[in-house]
Amino acid sequence: MPRAAALMTFAAATALIVLIALPVAFILAQAIFPGFARGSLADPFARLDLLTGNSRLLIQTQNTLMLAGAAMLGSLIFGLPIGVLRGLFRIPGARLWDVVFLIPFLIPPFIAAIAWTMTLQPRGYLFQLAGFDMGRQLFTFAGVAFVMTLNLFPLVYFAVSRSLEGVGSRFAAAARVSGAGPIRAFLLITLPLSIPGIAASLLIVFAMSIEEFGTPAALAARTGFDVLVTGIYTRLSDFPIDLSGAAMGSVILMAMALLAFAVQNWVATRRSYVAQSGKPASLQKARLGVWTVPALMLFALVAAIGVVIPLAAIVATSFMGTISGGLAWDNFDARHYAPIFRAGGRAAQALATSGWLALATALATAAIAAAVAVIVVRGQGRGRQAMDALSVLPNAIPAIVLAVGVILAWNSPFLPVTLYGTTAILLVAYTAILLPYPIRYAVARLRQIGTSLDDAARVAGAAPPRVLAHVLLPLMAPSLIAAMMLVFAIASRELVASIMLAPAGVRTVGTFVFSQFEQGSVQTGMAMSTIAIAVTSTILLAVNLWLARQGGSAMSG
Amino acid sequence: MLRTFTLTAALALVAVAAPAQTITLYTAGPGGLADALAEGFRAQTGTTVNVFQGTTGQVMARLEAEAANPQADVVISASWGSARDLHARGLLMEYLSPNAAMVPDFLKHPFYVAQGISALAMVWNTNSGTPRPAEWADLAGPAFRDLVTMPDPAQSGAAFDLVAGLEAAMGEGAWALLADLAANGMIVPGPNAAALNPVLQGAKAAVFGAVDYISYGQAAKGETIEVIVPASGTVIAPRPMMILASTANPDAAKAFVDYVLSDEGQRLVAETWMMPARADVPGLRPGIAETRVIEVDEDAVAARRDEIIARFNKVVLGR
Repeated sequence: MPRAAALMTFAAATALIVLIALPVAFILAQAIFPGFARGSLADPFARLDLLTGNSRLLIQTQNTLMLAGAAMLGSLIFGLPIGVLRGLFRIPGARLWDVVFLIPFLIPPFIAAIAWTMTLQPRGYLFQLAGFDMGRQLFTFAGVAFVMTLNLFPLVYFAVSRSLEGVGSRFAAAARVSGAGPIRAFLLITLPLSIPGIAASLLIVFAMSIEEFGTPAALAARTGFDVLVTGIYTRLSDFPIDLSGAAMGSVILMAMALLAFAVQNWVATRRSYVAQSGKPASLQKARLGVWTVPALMLFALVAAIGVVIPLAAIVATSFMGTISGGLAWDNFDARHYAPIFRAGGRAAQALATSGWLALATALATAAIAAAVAVIVVRGQGRGRQAMDALSVLPNAIPAIVLAVGVILAWNSPFLPVTLYGTTAILLVAYTAILLPYPIRYAVARLRQIGTSLDDAARVAGAAPPRVLAHVLLPLMAPSLIAAMMLVFAIASRELVASIMLAPAGVRTVGTFVFSQFEQGSVQTGMAMSTIAIAVTSTILLAVNLWLARQGGSAMSG
Repeated sequence: MLRTFTLTAALALVAVAAPAQTITLYTAGPGGLADALAEGFRAQTGTTVNVFQGTTGQVMARLEAEAANPQADVVISASWGSARDLHARGLLMEYLSPNAAMVPDFLKHPFYVAQGISALAMVWNTNSGTPRPAEWADLAGPAFRDLVTMPDPAQSGAAFDLVAGLEAAMGEGAWALLADLAANGMIVPGPNAAALNPVLQGAKAAVFGAVDYISYGQAAKGETIEVIVPASGTVIAPRPMMILASTANPDAAKAFVDYVLSDEGQRLVAETWMMPARADVPGLRPGIAETRVIEVDEDAVAARRDEIIARFNKVVLGR
């Protein structure tokens, strides 16, 4: 029935327009009209001098691209090998590893940067434990790229492992039968078939690294390494506030992301990557045999660098009586946890607010992403490309600018009713910011699934909604679930948009932690982070184990 | 049908449950203070205060983005210049609280008044193995080679005021001092907290120009740091409190300003280790009378802001 399809297209398009196009349009208007926030359309293009008369812009643009390139390369180095292993082989404790590699998303980037600083700087934890420091290495371009990579590499891990599961071992088996060695089969068959997934995850890494602020702000300022996003934040936090200049800077980032999207799209669609035609395939993964231990050691090494060290620094800091007291047993003190459990239940309120927001965001983004993926990959309409491209933008817009766009759009005095001023506006912003993950993952996954299954179902008499529910959704489920976990993890600690949009009196985990840092109680901020990470990772682990018990074929992975 | 009903019922509930009065406060830190003031005010008047707390920059960015439909009633910022700017744009309501009688004249204005005051100081890690600095210039000496941090004037209004103040007091000597500090390896890592943290852990030995009350508080909690105000003088950073002209609740907003300037409100301010705005309320630390304050011509400095920051970037950051 075309009516159902039209309805779905309409709903998905409306969601994208309201959530993304609307704030983006207001940002563009603000970039053009400096007085737009005050309702004035005077002096159009007055801030254009920012693009033409700014000698540092070129350096900032170069630095931004260099950093993004380094972060993409680093994410491949850290994420690709373990992603391949996880996707093709039976890894002991696979689900546990998945949760471990979600932890980098649970740590707000600025806290990760502080944790690394406190570990590596002179007289930091490394020095206190081992007698030497790596401050010189940390405060360099390589150091910034390293810390940023550790925030992002799990994107590649999840995309590659899910995508390879989709490819399965059937084609490789055919290659082996035809005489190819295992490495040849992997390089020529399996890896190329997972290119959409890898390209999609690299696009997100690119877009996130040009937008990410916490790491450059904490580390790059000390190296004189200036990127576009630091300039944008300065315009928004430095008096007098320059909304227009910040919006103009964001336009550059959006253009970069769209360009990257075009490249990714070209890579992913110039040939067919269909790997699932509907023939029954064995979902048994290959055994590693004697290679099990080395593989596990690789997982452990990546986890040690990417997860254990920053996490240990955070937990250790939260239990220190004084920072200047250092790592000494007589300096061990749990008193900084007291304000979290006291304080009139504010911390509990923050945890609850972030918890339900993260859950709602995960569900909302997954629902929209499933619809968008089906329309983009399976549909025929002309707006498909626009829809796809639109969904990349939020990743490239600095969260603080997107938040300004949301305020401009939703706080208009002409609206009879609005969500602005309620906690629901955070759901709107989170959904917009995080939509790119499930959409990229779902689109990449669907490109691997041939249309023969849809056709078979249609021939068997199933209407399109039924095909969607019983064929496409179960096939997309592993990627969607992986994306939902990412979304849940990031939304549970989102900071920048929350600061700008949370109604007065409402706190989230992110704003709670940030205000602790601002007040100078580093330990209480770290204590709240520790609790939030523990709670969230327990939830994610429980969900993962529950999925394992369901064990359904569709949920493999 | 059902949905309409639910909506109506929910709206009715909200209407019934809403307290008689609610005001919204946008404030720069410290967050514990804003919450304590909100609770104390509600206990006295029954009016609920919804608090949004961020940095001065975040507060101002939010005000700017909401300009078409302002949400805040009362604003407390950490930068006197921001109040002057909002007033110049006609966004503030005139109100001089009767409780402001004991606030020194230079800390009040018909449209805004100080809530509390911080000063800029040196913060020195007593375990750093360096000699105790007494003057700003000591930090440019060989004992502090590669061991000094400073908040970025572009990101911290107080640090900007310090640069402007030193220039007012020392003329070109201030720029020579900053150049010496830069040559001595001083780093400028970001806003106030970013400059302080390396000194707490001992990676660096001293902050040049830290906001003092945070460090007083940390020293009281056992951190091995000392707040040192040079005898040659420093600048102060009063925190302006103001009512937006767009407020729908002028009476409640005025009552809140009165409360912050009351004995009880000023005592809460003093507990954060700031100087209370009222001269007759004792602070936990040296007050204005014990500090040699460098006077700064705010108007002249505000007009030269871009020039001063550009010069700082050139002299200290080499760009």
